[in-house]
Amino acid sequence: MGRRACSRRLLIVDGVVSGEAEETYVARVANLTKSYGDGSNRVTALDDVSIGIERGSFTAIMGPSGSGKSTLMHVMAGLDSPSSGRVWLGDTDISGLGDAELTLIRRRRVGFVFQSFNLVPTLDVQGNIYLPFELDGRRPTADEERRIAALIQSLGLADRQSHRPHQLSGGQQQRVAIARALGTQPDLIFADEPTGNLDSKTGREVLSILSAASSETGQTVAMVTHDPIAASYADRILFLGDGKVIDELSRSTAEQISQRMLLMEPRS
Amino acid sequence: MSGHVAAFRANAREHGASITVAALSSGFGVLLLQATNMLTAYIDHQSVAQHGTAQAAIGILAVVFLLIAVYVGAIVTTNTFATVIAGRRKSIALMRLVGASANSLRASVAGEGLVVGVIGSLIGAAAGLAVSLAGLWILVDSRFVPSLNYPLVNPFIAAPIVVVVVTTWAASWVGARRVLDVTPLEAVGSSEESPSADARANPARNIAAIVLFVGGMALIGLGIAAGQTGVFGLPIAFLGGVGSFTGLTIGARMFMPVILRLVGVFFGRSAPANLAARNALRYPERSTRTTIGLVIGIALVTTLTVASQTFESLILSAQHGSPQQFAGTTAVLDVILPTFAGLIGFSIIIAAVGVVNNLSLSVLQRSRELGLLRALGFSSKQVRSMILIESAQMTITATLVGLLLGLFYGWAGAQSLLGSVSKRFSGIGFVPLSIPWLFVLVTVLIAMVFAAAASIGPIRRAARITPVMALAAE
Repeated sequence: MGRRACSRRLLIVDGVVSGEAEETYVARVANLTKSYGDGSNRVTALDDVSIGIERGSFTAIMGPSGSGKSTLMHVMAGLDSPSSGRVWLGDTDISGLGDAELTLIRRRRVGFVFQSFNLVPTLDVQGNIYLPFELDGRRPTADEERRIAALIQSLGLADRQSHRPHQLSGGQQQRVAIARALGTQPDLIFADEPTGNLDSKTGREVLSILSAASSETGQTVAMVTHDPIAASYADRILFLGDGKVIDELSRSTAEQISQRMLLMEPRS
Repeated sequence: MSGHVAAFRANAREHGASITVAALSSGFGVLLLQATNMLTAYIDHQSVAQHGTAQAAIGILAVVFLLIAVYVGAIVTTNTFATVIAGRRKSIALMRLVGASANSLRASVAGEGLVVGVIGSLIGAAAGLAVSLAGLWILVDSRFVPSLNYPLVNPFIAAPIVVVVVTTWAASWVGARRVLDVTPLEAVGSSEESPSADARANPARNIAAIVLFVGGMALIGLGIAAGQTGVFGLPIAFLGGVGSFTGLTIGARMFMPVILRLVGVFFGRSAPANLAARNALRYPERSTRTTIGLVIGIALVTTLTVASQTFESLILSAQHGSPQQFAGTTAVLDVILPTFAGLIGFSIIIAAVGVVNNLSLSVLQRSRELGLLRALGFSSKQVRSMILIESAQMTITATLVGLLLGLFYGWAGAQSLLGSVSKRFSGIGFVPLSIPWLFVLVTVLIAMVFAAAASIGPIRRAARITPVMALAAE
């Protein structure tokens, strides 16, 4: 069933850009290829990939190391440029944009959550959460202020606002990073192994927060992971291997995901 | 020693600045002693009366200038090593994990310092010797000085060579203190850097600094009072000046970060300015050491300039009364004080090497964080302006503090020397502060140009950092 759903989605993306596609998908790539190096050293990280990420969805991208999942995320987030093919964020074609435009896209329309938290060590919790606004040289609107205050409250950071990152636990740091990413209501949040440096309990809390952001406030989240438990929080799971999308599942249990991963292992 | 050489070679790239500083210090010392030696021969030839006194005075001054340069050099080298250690924490932790003792690791770092000292000192000495001989040859050849049997090599040049090697070694030992804080566990986890390690206070040192400062200031006050009635004011005030300035230097950690913060406010509230201001205070000890070298040089040069200008303007007004009495005095001052200022100012060059090095190492060590900022939407222009502001904040703070201290000490010197003279001629025992505006303006301009120039390399390096670097898990 998963395979069929996958090919139907791919057909839409592969086809001519339609108004429907723009509304359904927050981010899309079509015939995306990314390779590094030249000649005999040439490595193809992504090979003719076409996928779309639906608005409000929580998508997990899975695959073994070297499958191209990180590269896919980098390209979709405007961190890296494709070798060929096209990339859209909302209705903006970002494939041909230069560094300055991509910077603005990242600042205003993409949020990041990293494996190693990556808070700015010199800023306190509040400073880190408001950093995207500062970068943009603007004050948050009253609405945004209210939303961020509620966010800080619900993430349990209210009494930590003047703490610096080194004074926080890993789980707290990751919640600050999530608050930072959610603060600007970006089109898309990219989470790169967000539970990789956390214990399992804290990791589950973080996953619940991301999942709730998607289901309750309609925040689109794309998460790269190789942990089946983490992927079980997602609405949709894409499997990458050797630079291609090789499988897809809708919401599944960790057991089902593990099963599918084992099936993908080459038998020797 | 061979182990030290191997350790040095493995990390040679990190030691460029320390070698430069050692070479500058020893080259300066050798040149100074060579010049003293040749000058002595020249004075002998002129057979000026009391030339023994003149020679002794020249010798003492040479030692004082050399000590200032070596001291500033030691501060810069200590800082460089402390910064280098901060960048090596992961590999030090790994060594600790597999069983190396903290003390042996620290000794190994100091061993690198010894090699740095030997290489730098010898390069500097060779250059200093070459410059002194070439200079002599040019002076004789152009008949500026008579052709005499000048001594070609002053045997005392061994002293600065050895002193620079030893101080570089010692400075690297002090700078390597942080090796002791590294725990083996740091090699395992991706632990956050803990800035608290840097902020550790040193009470004994602070108390010594305060005692020296307060005592010195009291002596300056006494010197100024004594200057009202006689000629003993200056020596008393001079002692007070040396004491209080030493207190300021070793206690700089107590006030430089505060001033850095205040100056940071003037760069505005934009995101780059805000982050730059915080970066300048991230390692208060490092920022203090980086800036205090510049402060020392600028303060001493300003002191001399202010003292001579105040002296001159007072003499000028006094000359209206009795022109003969002071004729020729200003002419001597016009030559001697700028020479002194230039010789002391050499330490500014050494300190400047420290500023450039601190800035580039800090960018190198922050590449992950800079990548993060780029990922979050910091434009490359914002990164550029952040680094430029960091550079400007340090340079401008050091320049302002140096100028203010120099204005005070220069005035105090003039006041204690000339209080009684002023009383005699104008009826008031107060010497008005004469601010050398041109000097101040030129100093500030040079500081601004330097701040911009110092940031060029680090900015270029930062421009190569891509946002993807922030995503790579360690």
